[in-house]
Amino acid sequence: MKKIPDKDILLFKSCLVNVEYPGVESSTKFLFDKLGIEYITSEKQSCCTGLGHYADLFDQFSTSALAARNFGIAREEGHKNLATLCATCYAILKKSANILNKKDDVRNRINKIFEDSNIPDLTYNAEDMDSRDNIFHVAEILFNKAGEIEDLVEIDLSGFRVASHHACHYCKVHHNDTIGNVRDPMVIETLARACGVEIVEWYDRKTSTCGNGFRQRYMNKELSFLVTSEKLISLKENKVDILLHMCPNCQLQFDRNQKVIGESLEVEFNIVCLNISQFLALALGADPYRVVGVQTHTVPVEPVLDKIKQINSCFEV
Amino acid sequence: MNNGHFSRYAPKSSIDIGVFLCKCGGNISDTVDIERLSSSIDAKVVKEFENLCSIKCQKNIRDIILEEELDRAVIAACSPITHEKTFRNHVAPLNPYLLEMANIREQCSWVHSDVDKATDKAISLTNAAIERVKYARPLDTIIRKTKKSAAVIGGGISGITTALSLAKQGIKVHIIEKSPTVGGNMIKIGKVFSPEKLAEECALCLFNPLINEAVQHKNINIITNAELKSSIRKTGNFNLLVERKATYVKEDKCTACGNCTEVCPVDVPNEWNEKLMMRKAIYKPFPQSVPDAYTIDKENCIKCGKCVKVCAMNAINLKMKRELIPLDAGSVVIATGHKGFDLKKRPEYGYCRYEDVITQMELARIMGVNGPTNGKLLRPSDGKIPGRVVMIQCAGSRDDKPEGKRYCSKVCCMVALKHASFIRHYYPDTEIIICYTDMRTPGMYENYFRYVQSKEVKLLRGRPGEIFNKGDNLVVRVEDTLNGELTDIETDIVVLSEAMEPSEGTLKVAETLNVGLTEDLFIKEKHPKIRPVTTDVEGIYVCGTAQGPKDITESVSQANAAASKVSEIINGGLEIEPTIAEINHSRCSMCGNCISACKYKAIYMYDEHMSVDPVSCTGCGICISKCEHNAVEIMGQTDAQIHAMIYGMLKDKKDDEQRILAFVDYIGYVASDNMGINRISYPESVRIIRISSINRLMPKHIMFAFENCADGIFLGEYPDDIMYPAIQEKVHEIRSELIKNSIDPDRLMYYKVYAPYFRGLANKLIEFDKQVSKALDKLEAVLYKASSKDL
Repeated sequence: MKKIPDKDILLFKSCLVNVEYPGVESSTKFLFDKLGIEYITSEKQSCCTGLGHYADLFDQFSTSALAARNFGIAREEGHKNLATLCATCYAILKKSANILNKKDDVRNRINKIFEDSNIPDLTYNAEDMDSRDNIFHVAEILFNKAGEIEDLVEIDLSGFRVASHHACHYCKVHHNDTIGNVRDPMVIETLARACGVEIVEWYDRKTSTCGNGFRQRYMNKELSFLVTSEKLISLKENKVDILLHMCPNCQLQFDRNQKVIGESLEVEFNIVCLNISQFLALALGADPYRVVGVQTHTVPVEPVLDKIKQINSCFEV
Repeated sequence: MNNGHFSRYAPKSSIDIGVFLCKCGGNISDTVDIERLSSSIDAKVVKEFENLCSIKCQKNIRDIILEEELDRAVIAACSPITHEKTFRNHVAPLNPYLLEMANIREQCSWVHSDVDKATDKAISLTNAAIERVKYARPLDTIIRKTKKSAAVIGGGISGITTALSLAKQGIKVHIIEKSPTVGGNMIKIGKVFSPEKLAEECALCLFNPLINEAVQHKNINIITNAELKSSIRKTGNFNLLVERKATYVKEDKCTACGNCTEVCPVDVPNEWNEKLMMRKAIYKPFPQSVPDAYTIDKENCIKCGKCVKVCAMNAINLKMKRELIPLDAGSVVIATGHKGFDLKKRPEYGYCRYEDVITQMELARIMGVNGPTNGKLLRPSDGKIPGRVVMIQCAGSRDDKPEGKRYCSKVCCMVALKHASFIRHYYPDTEIIICYTDMRTPGMYENYFRYVQSKEVKLLRGRPGEIFNKGDNLVVRVEDTLNGELTDIETDIVVLSEAMEPSEGTLKVAETLNVGLTEDLFIKEKHPKIRPVTTDVEGIYVCGTAQGPKDITESVSQANAAASKVSEIINGGLEIEPTIAEINHSRCSMCGNCISACKYKAIYMYDEHMSVDPVSCTGCGICISKCEHNAVEIMGQTDAQIHAMIYGMLKDKKDDEQRILAFVDYIGYVASDNMGINRISYPESVRIIRISSINRLMPKHIMFAFENCADGIFLGEYPDDIMYPAIQEKVHEIRSELIKNSIDPDRLMYYKVYAPYFRGLANKLIEFDKQVSKALDKLEAVLYKASSKDL
């Protein structure tokens, strides 16, 4: 298994997280602080361009150029280990790092652009970043600390049935760097287990995509929703209360569209969609609104909070 | 020439050499002026002959050697590849290795037309042979004796077959088997398919007679519950240490009455029945186990002593210790077999999640009459007869995803058909659907495939994506790729045709014996086409599924092949040419560089000395380059001999003459001869020197050549898989040395030679000759410029 760091981390911001579920970022920071993980965020960081790239708006060259820029900034800030909040950022940064390391002509062209743009400090030299050793997902950083998380749990979450949805771009793209089995990584499960919650280890369609497909949810809405509905039906059959995510794309797909999909099928779904960071933050006693940001969710999280309060008298809402 | 410069083997102060020139019935004498050649040579005796290979002339040579009391002989005639062996015999009483040949036919008279130039070159070639022979030393053929015993690791069908074949040839065999019984995988299968019958045969009925024969044969010793612990290799022999587990049961006393098992309180899942039923801690794997004795599973035994009390034969000793058994074997055969792919690596198939998802091996045990259900096909979950069975092919095989096996496991299509046929026969109401990728039933197996199809077994082309459950049943999600439709097939049982991979025993044994593995971790054969069943360690062979996926028919063939290979060296004996590496123990520091350099695994450590296995050593010389203490020499190709040959080739070079030394290996030499046989011309500047391999050369040899006014160095070698990277490294090393000494690297060339492509070689030599001239012209111009500057 690859070596996972706990310092020199640049917490890589995600456009979708900041716009849709900012609680994911604040929960992550809450957890990192509690666990003593050394990290920074940088205002100079730019978007990874993943969404635009997969919507065919930006080509691979532009995406890699921006990745090189972000790598340069990470080096400048002295924090070379990138930890992403989103699976798309994870996969696309790794791919760009591989391209920059292996394809000399691409790297040279990008460095020329830096030179012409008067930002020679950002020049990327081969092997500056290693896809396997320097680029991680936040869930992996936390996975490494699962033992310590267990000791810090304050809230009893045992009354809930949870299941995981491991983002496709985390486990299926860069096979060799996925922790655990490529089709069933169990990273989220391991973390959830540290909170003592009941886990549905397998449900039908577990390895399916969320259906989001970047622009598919706009261009092929019917197909996109069909895929998501199959997953929702399976989760409902397994009586899952909370679906745990590691990517805002998936979280968005399941959360924002759940009511619409339910109405079209004449079924009521009430599956709360939380990012694993949000879930763990709750378990460690974070404020549900100020830190976890449940107010940005479409499927109401309040019933979950109420239930938590019933079990944990000290829980303040 | 400076004697001290060459080596520690300085020649006697006066050596009497006899040079014998052959006219070859005009083949040589038509182009080479034999008279001039004869008078230009400086040796005690120089004689000309019409046909040196004729019996009369051979007798003449011997007479001359005796009369003139010669110490060495040089024969200038045809290629040594044609007649060297014959001539070696005819220089008796001289040692055969005190002869040197000069090739003035294939590599001189047949490729050059200008008489003067051809004669000059012939003189050069003969001189080279004369210089080289001064440093020749007497060598004896090595006769290798191998102990008349073999160790077979693994007691399955392959191990037993090879052991029987060896035993019948008078060789003592020890079978070392890890589990308490012999039989391996074949004995678990129940029914086996056949290339000639449209029916399934009983595996035990085929195998039992062989096992009985093996047990009763006086030359076979079966040791069960044993593993190979370590091995020390000497030439022709292996000192093995076998560890026999403590089974707490004295095999010779146990009558297998079974009283002990009835009182044992410990239940353990029975591995032999694929953990589908339980056994006790004291057990016999299955009723027909051989040896017919009970055994105690040390890990689960609680030592309550109940069994001891009921044993009438006093066969149980709970204090028994493990035993270390030393064995001497002339040869080792690896027959450690295979295991099934771990289906937990494919979570989407739900192997561990659903009881009714099973492997083909588990199905074989269920349907076996001595299995958990006494042969009835019953669902593991509820014990009912299934109405439908879906089989999934290529579970783990032909799989590009992480941890999947990319290869095809070869037998699974036939296994699935066999089980399908069997089920359809005994359970006509049970439907069978096989989801396949390709149905691979080559040769006569195709007949069986058609026969099974006639039994209405359904075939669906598509690899299922996942299996999930619906109530009590399973659902297989698959795309029928022939009509492009996604289907959900509801079924009672799913059988996964699991991939075949090397067993743990195979990996362990490979490490203990230092035998090479392929990329897929099976035991690697030296060359699958022309050197099968032989591993890269001399004396160790492999057969059966340890070498790769295959069925029983092929395993038996391979086992017999391995036995015949073992018998070749044990019964046939070996005479080996002595032109191999020799280690000077007083200089050797035991650093081990030579061991890691040798790709033939010919050097090994024994009894605090480095030893060379004469059968494996090819005399390539790569060990010499890596030895920092000058402790290795190749007999018959010492540094002295190489330097002498170079010196001789360049002797008496005229100022305006160009001479290129071409060092070639055996294949290169054959290609060079082929140029002659086909009368293809190339420049007279080229003088061909045969070496074992470019790896034998070192920068010092090349520099010596340049110091003696060589104009160009040509290196030609066949790009053998094993040695090619080392060759590239060597060429690079030599090139760097040239550059370091300000010699134009254009005066060096490396060429990959192939025996039939001699025209390519000729063209390359012509090209190189021109390239060298150009380089020398350039050099001259530079020197001229430099000297004129001084003025």
